[in-house]
Amino acid sequence: MRGFLRKALATAALLALTAGAQAKETVVWWDFLGGGDGVRMKKLIEDFNTDHKDTIEIQATTLDWGTPFYSKVQTSAAVGAGPDLMTYHSSRIPLAVGQGTLTEITPEDMTVMGLSEASFAKAPWAAVHVDGKQYAVPFDQHPIVLYYNKDKLAAAGLIGDDGLPKGLNGVDNFAAAMKKLQDGGTKYGLATVTANGDFAYRTFYSLLCQQGGVVGGDGNWLPGDNLQKMVNAVQVEADWVKNGHAPANTDYPSTVALFTTGDAAMMVNGVWEVPTMTDLQAQGKLFNWGVIELPVLFDKPCTYSDSHTFAIPNNKGKPQTPEKHAAVLEVIKWMEDHALFWATAGHIPANKAVTDSAEYKAMQPQATYAPLTANMIYDPQSKFAGVASPLFDAAGNALTPAINGEVDVTTAVTEFRDTLNDLQ
Amino acid sequence: MLKSRKSEVLAAIVLAGPFVALYAWMFIYPTIQMVHLSFQNAPLIGEGTWAGLKNYTKLLSDRTFKTAVWNTAYFVLLTVVPGTAVALAIALMVSRLNGWFQSIILAMFFVPYVLPVTVVYILWDWMVNVQFGVLQPVIALFTGKPVNVWRTIPWFMPGVAIVTIWWTNGFSILLFLAGIRNIPKEIYEAALLDGASRTQVFWRVTWPLLWPVTVLCLTIQLILQLKIFDQVYLFSMGGRTQVTMVMVQYIFEQGFQRNNGGYAATIAVALFVIVVAVSVLQLQAARLRRGT
Repeated sequence: MRGFLRKALATAALLALTAGAQAKETVVWWDFLGGGDGVRMKKLIEDFNTDHKDTIEIQATTLDWGTPFYSKVQTSAAVGAGPDLMTYHSSRIPLAVGQGTLTEITPEDMTVMGLSEASFAKAPWAAVHVDGKQYAVPFDQHPIVLYYNKDKLAAAGLIGDDGLPKGLNGVDNFAAAMKKLQDGGTKYGLATVTANGDFAYRTFYSLLCQQGGVVGGDGNWLPGDNLQKMVNAVQVEADWVKNGHAPANTDYPSTVALFTTGDAAMMVNGVWEVPTMTDLQAQGKLFNWGVIELPVLFDKPCTYSDSHTFAIPNNKGKPQTPEKHAAVLEVIKWMEDHALFWATAGHIPANKAVTDSAEYKAMQPQATYAPLTANMIYDPQSKFAGVASPLFDAAGNALTPAINGEVDVTTAVTEFRDTLNDLQ
Repeated sequence: MLKSRKSEVLAAIVLAGPFVALYAWMFIYPTIQMVHLSFQNAPLIGEGTWAGLKNYTKLLSDRTFKTAVWNTAYFVLLTVVPGTAVALAIALMVSRLNGWFQSIILAMFFVPYVLPVTVVYILWDWMVNVQFGVLQPVIALFTGKPVNVWRTIPWFMPGVAIVTIWWTNGFSILLFLAGIRNIPKEIYEAALLDGASRTQVFWRVTWPLLWPVTVLCLTIQLILQLKIFDQVYLFSMGGRTQVTMVMVQYIFEQGFQRNNGGYAATIAVALFVIVVAVSVLQLQAARLRRGT
């Protein structure tokens, strides 16, 4: 009997050992990518799982973008029920660090992944740091851009010899171009989200920066003449609406629909709509189109951008085991290496090895707008800034009526500044 | 005698105990915690510091809170009585139908109630979309131009109220139908023999006999609509949320978006007090109306 017991124990131990060696590490993954880019991310995850059939499996869940995602991450991490790895907007990192939601990415982690400061574009690299510590690994840069209907612009004589739009720089020239397009029978010169001031903030911030203005920071928002510069920025869009160049009170889906149906000749939107156009064109349902950097309406080129990053939540009471942590780093590294496919989602990879590659430089329209990364501006590092933040909220509340001519622009921008300054 | 009473008490404790324990744990304890939290300066998760009455004094001078209270009251006004009246009218009409035809019509009115709020939101958002909405020609008949209902402040609450009545009416209709079927046929026959007109039959027979159901509908609707959140949140996203704010939405904003757990609890306490006060008042009013 005793001999039997010993044998049984030995067998069990052996089984446990081999099982341990063969056990697949699972990485629970959360993201907020629900659009055309979400489809491409799912493909990347699938490919990863195939590549790591015996070692690592990503179990991915897509959650609702914005406030729902970030509330869930914050509350679940606080009780140790968060994922192992998640996508995160770099603009939301200061708030997350203040709430203790993120785990630091250590220099050793970076060494393990074979990545360093030199691997990344400058702006997204800076955006993942708070007080000198790194809290995420940048994956892409997603600025807003100008989409255009090449057929309509050509008919209006707005395409230059290089095949790219011309005559769009300067507030007056841009308005004249839109008028020309509308005279040619197009309903609107430009479609942009006019029903949501929080979305339009991306345009305003770009135009503010084009005047050399800054949005400021905690307790001192829009300091000095930046208030007037912001008024100028909002006024541009309010005038487009007033003069019928852009449709009033139009929400996001309608904006995309107006452009893709040809009712609007141009559209200001994020690079993430590139897959929508690519897919429609592949089905033969779209005109000739292109994407360029926002025109210089004021003094210098400048465009708002944000970054998707990979972050590890600080699951309270449940720190990652070394094996799990290694698997998570492997996932990040693999994604960074395969970011070329992510570029088909419109996003500009943060990994310089990818953007410097010949394949990326041949990718259209990505390669046309990618140089704008030299003129990007990110949200200020503040726990009130970032996507779906109090700053976005304040923009929605104060600036939406100004775009649509219900409130005087100066009054609206002053209210926007005061709301921000009251935050604590 | 004494012994049997003792065993009765024991039986009562055994029978009621599990419920009382569960209720105390799941409802009373959190409520006490909420009140406790409202006296603290606390984040959404984690320990707070004692703040005394600071949250309450802040609440009294908070403009957004006043807007939220007003909007909630306005929404209740727009939905509770009108919604119940519409449900009663539909129930009276449906009750005149027979057989499978009645079932089909009833099902048609009940279907929206089964939908999740997100589906209701997307349906209506597209129907009144300012560029492509099928209802915009109807709106343009009155205004001369398309109107973005969810960005035009005077239109917002009535718009959400109509959507809510459309969405939640099925349940009230069912309650009313059950009530109508419970009224004995003999009373109607007697009324007809006495030569009562149809209006008289409604006001003298149907209405008083349906009154308990009406009170039930009104109470359910009142408590439900005081807690309005989803529809208002969805329709106002990205726009002028501060102007269209309702109370539960403000709790959500302060707690989940601004990380002010203590202040969110304070607003929740205020809502709790309002719900209790209004419910008691309504029950009292209903009792008066019945004359007992």
